Amino acid sequence: MEGMIQSSVPQYSKPFHSLATMARSVPNPRIIAMHRRRHRIPQLTSHSFLPFISSSPTGSTVSFATPEVGVSNTETPEWAMQDFYTLRKDVETVLERVEEIRAAAGLKQLQEDLAALEAAATDSALWDNRATAQETLQALTDCKDKLKLLHDFKTQADDAETIIKLTEEMESIDSALLQEASGIIKELNKALDRFELTQLLSGPYDKEAAVITITAGAGGTDAQDWADMLLRMYVRWGEKQRYETKVVEKSVGEEAGIKSATIEIEGRYAYGYLSGEKGTHRIVRQSPFNAKGLRQTSFSGVEVMPLLPEDSTDVEIPEEDLDISFTRAGGKGGQNVNKVETAVRITHIPTGVAVRCTEERTQLANKIKALSRLKAKLLVIAEEQRACEIKQIRGNAVKAEWGQQIRNYVFHPYKLVKDVRTAYETSDITSVMDGELDPFIKAYLKHKYSMTANPSGLS
Amino acid sequence: MRLSFIRPISCCAVSSPTTLVKPQTPLFLRPPTFKTTLTDLKKWHLWAKSLASSVGSAFLNLDNGPDSNQLLRELNWLIEDAIGTPKSILEQPHKSRNGNSTVLIRTCLDELYVLWKQRVEERRPFQYVVGCEHWRDLVLSVQEGVLIPRPETELIVDLVDEAIKENEELRDGLWGDLGTGSGALAIGIARILGSKGRVIATDLSPVATAVASYNVQRYDLEEKVHVKQGSWFEPLRDNEGEFVGLVSNPPYIPSKDIGGLQAEVGRHEPRLALDGGASGMNDLIHLCDGAVSMLKPGGFFAFETNGDEQSKFLVHYIETKKQGSFSKVKMVSDFAGIQRFITGFRGR
Repeated sequence: MEGMIQSSVPQYSKPFHSLATMARSVPNPRIIAMHRRRHRIPQLTSHSFLPFISSSPTGSTVSFATPEVGVSNTETPEWAMQDFYTLRKDVETVLERVEEIRAAAGLKQLQEDLAALEAAATDSALWDNRATAQETLQALTDCKDKLKLLHDFKTQADDAETIIKLTEEMESIDSALLQEASGIIKELNKALDRFELTQLLSGPYDKEAAVITITAGAGGTDAQDWADMLLRMYVRWGEKQRYETKVVEKSVGEEAGIKSATIEIEGRYAYGYLSGEKGTHRIVRQSPFNAKGLRQTSFSGVEVMPLLPEDSTDVEIPEEDLDISFTRAGGKGGQNVNKVETAVRITHIPTGVAVRCTEERTQLANKIKALSRLKAKLLVIAEEQRACEIKQIRGNAVKAEWGQQIRNYVFHPYKLVKDVRTAYETSDITSVMDGELDPFIKAYLKHKYSMTANPSGLS
Repeated sequence: MRLSFIRPISCCAVSSPTTLVKPQTPLFLRPPTFKTTLTDLKKWHLWAKSLASSVGSAFLNLDNGPDSNQLLRELNWLIEDAIGTPKSILEQPHKSRNGNSTVLIRTCLDELYVLWKQRVEERRPFQYVVGCEHWRDLVLSVQEGVLIPRPETELIVDLVDEAIKENEELRDGLWGDLGTGSGALAIGIARILGSKGRVIATDLSPVATAVASYNVQRYDLEEKVHVKQGSWFEPLRDNEGEFVGLVSNPPYIPSKDIGGLQAEVGRHEPRLALDGGASGMNDLIHLCDGAVSMLKPGGFFAFETNGDEQSKFLVHYIETKKQGSFSKVKMVSDFAGIQRFITGFRGR
């Protein structure tokens, strides 16, 4: 009911701010419109409003029943004074946060970059070199996007602030408006979280789409079921991020679960977020596949690679360094067999790094795809090892790094998901399995960032 | 929606058996003019998945047939070919509100039930079900009566490519593909030949020549590839001694082995394209004999065989019985390490 105020504030002592400070900039036109609309509706006058509040008895529910108004908006919850103060505080905090982020993001520098890039983009010599032209245009788009984002943060924060000031000006509570402000703050905080996270993603491939390969470890059906649970977890995560998430390959287990699966997750920064997920994931539970319900530990391996655009991998790998094997359905082959078995496995002999590709309909197509995945994997490993070229990759180190146990999921005797690297943990295992991975991802990215910034932390 | 399959009154014709000479349009090339709802399509998908899963490794143990995993992969490809809208709509289980939205498909839903049932229960080859085979970078139309090109055979095009790179004269000459089937080799080779290069493709089967002609036409190669009906060299008599290259994947399976073949092959593919007589080598020997007079000096040949034993025999046969006719005769392995091909050159 509009105009209802539930208050647990004993005394209303602090008067609303005067309007003098309000609206230093042009407010959101929508809010102006709302403002006007509000004024068309018969409202509580400021006269009746303030005295009533200040005389309100402690703790009781004060009803501003104004039957003559006749406007009932049941969709917006009722707002209490205290809620308003909380909201005002939130708005102040978010305003500060937006300013900090804008400063940290180097707003000035970005504007200078934009000018420089715009000049370069309009240069008549731009298309002399196609590759650099594309790079320039991409950089321009990135720069514009970032500036727009920073601008949007500011606009949204201002919108919320305007609503607060409007409310103070009108000296009345408009639930719908406050609800809107609250919504803005909520969304804005999420966007800011995301932006901060993105700042941690500055690796050369972080922006790219990602390919996740999940492989069940030893441990039979239980491990295969665990791999299937992880598959579901990542698919749900991808859907939550509104990334385009495709299971491109899935090899089901004999009894339950999967032996392996490959997911392609397309969307900006998919690789950056997911790169820290690679490693061994361990589950401890009472196995549903074990008649005695004994506690069982199983493992599944997760590999994450960037999905690089076809032409961006200008890495040449000598043919003799590759061991390419085609899976054939056995038997005599040729005319004797008709199985659409097109799997291709490529091993980079010097490092032992291998990839497998099965989802395409011809071996040729799988070979091309596998080769591009192999290159992506080698590039990522080279970057991790700070090697300038593929040749310098230390193969023995790869196995250790990529197979490292990174997270424990304990279902029994207690519920706990704990990241081995960051020590981040939660007991809400259901949500995690439902794709709530962001806290883990964020913790890892921060951890990684602090490691790079402060290498002495490495021990 | 049905879980057990009942043959419905079909709104479109079920693919006809072998006698049709008019080539069929592969599923993926048909217009998406059939409508269904997402809910019904998902029900079909669920049914099809469970049918595939129920197979387990039964076929594998029986006759080295496909297991559930392979069938599930094929199911994805069937969806890819059958659906007009992106197939990812099937992978969004959480958007139930779109259940009534229309999905465009290239054949009616009832036919999809029929097709998948044929695939799993009758072991009808997947490629006949969708009417095409992805081979090298080609998508070739296939249907009952035409051998489905095998991945091993893709290598012959690479062997030809190598030969051409060594001797550029081969690039603009006349090539022969004997027993062309779907036209796979003829088309694959025509695409690496020069502007003057030509291929004559022959096949005894009228279904095969119809399908090969259709595939040639789909790849705009009518100028380069001539499809002729007839047995082996018979349609080529006018061009005797003119060929710079001959390739063939002739029937090479010994007659006694046909009965034990994987059901997809033995029950559904044309015996004419598989059965090579008692030893499996009737046609291969005929080809080696004929190649002597058909090839120009320096001309190249590559034939596919049943593997190690046959290849060894043929190399020996050529070296002893065709002494001096050929040079550089050798065996080449397929990717499974089986000596699958013999290649060589007509002596100069």
